[in-house]
Amino acid sequence: MKRFVGMWLVIGAVLVGLVGLFAAFYALAALGAQAAVALGFPGFFGSSIVNAITLMAVTLMTVAALLTVAERKWSAAMQDRIGANRILVGGKFPLGGVPYLLADALKMLTKESTFPVARSKFLFELAPVLAFSPTFALFAVVPVGPEVRVLGQQVGMWVASPDAGLLWVFALAGLSVYGTTLAGWASNSRVGMLGAVRASAQMISYEVSLGMSLVGVMIAYKTVNLQAMAIAQGVDVIGPIPAIGLLLQPLGFLVFFTSSFAETKRAPFDLPEGESEIVGYFLEYSGMKFGLLFLAEFVEVVILGAITAAVFLGGWHPIFFEGWLKAHLDPVLFGAVCAAAFLAKVIFLTWLQLIIRWLLPRFRYDQIQALCWKLLLPGAIVNVFVTGAAVLADPSLELLAWIGVVEIVAIFGITLAVARPKGAHAGHDAGDAHGHAAHAAGH
Amino acid sequence: MPYTIDNRPADVRESLYFPEIFQAIGLVVKTFWRNAFFSRDPNPDILERDRTHNRVATVQYPEEKVPYPIGYRGLHRLVPRADGSPRCVACYMCATACPAQCIYIEAGEVEGDPIEKYPVKFVIDELRCVVCGFCVEACPKDAIRMDTGEHPTATYTREGQIYDEKRLLRGPPVSYEKDPWLVRPSRLTDAALAADRAAARPFSSLGADEYSQTPGFSSRTLAAEAKGRSGA
Repeated sequence: MKRFVGMWLVIGAVLVGLVGLFAAFYALAALGAQAAVALGFPGFFGSSIVNAITLMAVTLMTVAALLTVAERKWSAAMQDRIGANRILVGGKFPLGGVPYLLADALKMLTKESTFPVARSKFLFELAPVLAFSPTFALFAVVPVGPEVRVLGQQVGMWVASPDAGLLWVFALAGLSVYGTTLAGWASNSRVGMLGAVRASAQMISYEVSLGMSLVGVMIAYKTVNLQAMAIAQGVDVIGPIPAIGLLLQPLGFLVFFTSSFAETKRAPFDLPEGESEIVGYFLEYSGMKFGLLFLAEFVEVVILGAITAAVFLGGWHPIFFEGWLKAHLDPVLFGAVCAAAFLAKVIFLTWLQLIIRWLLPRFRYDQIQALCWKLLLPGAIVNVFVTGAAVLADPSLELLAWIGVVEIVAIFGITLAVARPKGAHAGHDAGDAHGHAAHAAGH
Repeated sequence: MPYTIDNRPADVRESLYFPEIFQAIGLVVKTFWRNAFFSRDPNPDILERDRTHNRVATVQYPEEKVPYPIGYRGLHRLVPRADGSPRCVACYMCATACPAQCIYIEAGEVEGDPIEKYPVKFVIDELRCVVCGFCVEACPKDAIRMDTGEHPTATYTREGQIYDEKRLLRGPPVSYEKDPWLVRPSRLTDAALAADRAAARPFSSLGADEYSQTPGFSSRTLAAEAKGRSGA
């Protein structure tokens, strides 16, 4: 019981801490904007530079690094284990396994860096950077919080808000293929090469359904700018329910989440690094170069969560009690609450990915391609046509929302419907039938 | 009934992937919820732990131990009498039976007693021991047992694996009705002798019975004792 209360207290404390943190980030961004104005530049120059540090270098990297710990502890909880708890701070407190983060970093940094002699020297060094930087740069367009007026400056909680928001996402997600491919090719190892080929084949395939699944969202919100999408998701569509992407595009959400999951190359889509068959494209890497490839994966997980949250889970809108919060809170504090809500959604989505990771065994290669080309891509294309027709018929999105409700209800219905006969009876019958058939064949 | 494997082809709902995955997500979330939000039952008796909420199966080995089943041949012990001296009469039966020749005994005569002997030294080299249990079988006085439910603990030196009579003599005392020192005139005081005789049981030739004959014996209490020692 103590743990139960304690866990909720920790969650509450984390949320409150996030609100405080983002309030501070808003203040810092405003200071940056003021400095830029004083130097004669537009204000958003300064706030963007400050945000690049606070959001990308601090928030994103901290979440990604903590995810390595969460991966251990959450996975343990999902598998009836305790997880990493042998480092005791002060001889007594495991602190939820967080000290393992430092131990990991120390190990990665001090490890001997070995490399194959016959490698391609330049590309071998370049590959981890190419794997890491595009994923890292993806976060630039993610709107973490709304635009509010702080210290006389209009500042937003994002690094950049280009009009081509989602296109930037596609472009950079496509670039990260180079990192993995070059890592395999440059290390001049057959197995690494095999991993790289698998990775590129898988990522290029899923790129298609990834792009197609977001077309529906673009049609519905009539924009590709992520910040405009986040604002559009706060508008009520059916009664008090806001037009969040999950409601308008449940099918698009499923396809996007699955495709981007495949893009992260983690279980069950971890074919490029299947430990039991081939070690993967980073086979020849060690030390911090491996660490970078490893960290790129975790950063990708967080960014996938961030983009899914921005496009499908209502962006930075807290959704619950939003009207009350907006009416009663100081605008800056409301912005901080929004940003904290966004990060909470991101953490929830990373947790969900971990759940799926431990849920499914690795797909076979043909299954991966079949899932992409036979299930996800047709689903995405159907979604595009349905969305287009619905928006054409009713530009207020209400029809689309109702279609979404029907889809969600249908998915729930199919999930809850027990198609499999209960008990062993059916299996027994089937076994008998097989037995008879074998018997007949024998005669 | 044996477990039947349902090997039929997937139906439409199953081949859609997602409904099945959603159901399974519920399953994993439930497991996560149980283990993350409820504490482990701290009961040192692992087998008796309450697993209704938290189902973590981990046993944190050096701190927590699963008791071995009765009959497990663990570390030897010299069984004490009620007064704390060993039951052993230094007859060399165990040392003779030992195929690994890991038992070294030096006999001494009990002062003021014309017949009885006792082990001045009783040393077992646990590194040599093959854990066959022949010494336990050979002992006519039920003086050596392997019922501690522990392994010989790891040591940094070979000498640490050599157990002398001071380390071996432990565990609950045992008395039998026909024990000579309870029948013949004894060194014990009359009151102690009477108490000892009252606690004595008939000697059984059945191996499994010897455990039930030790009052208060359980491998669990021994495991708890061992835990207390390792903590100290």
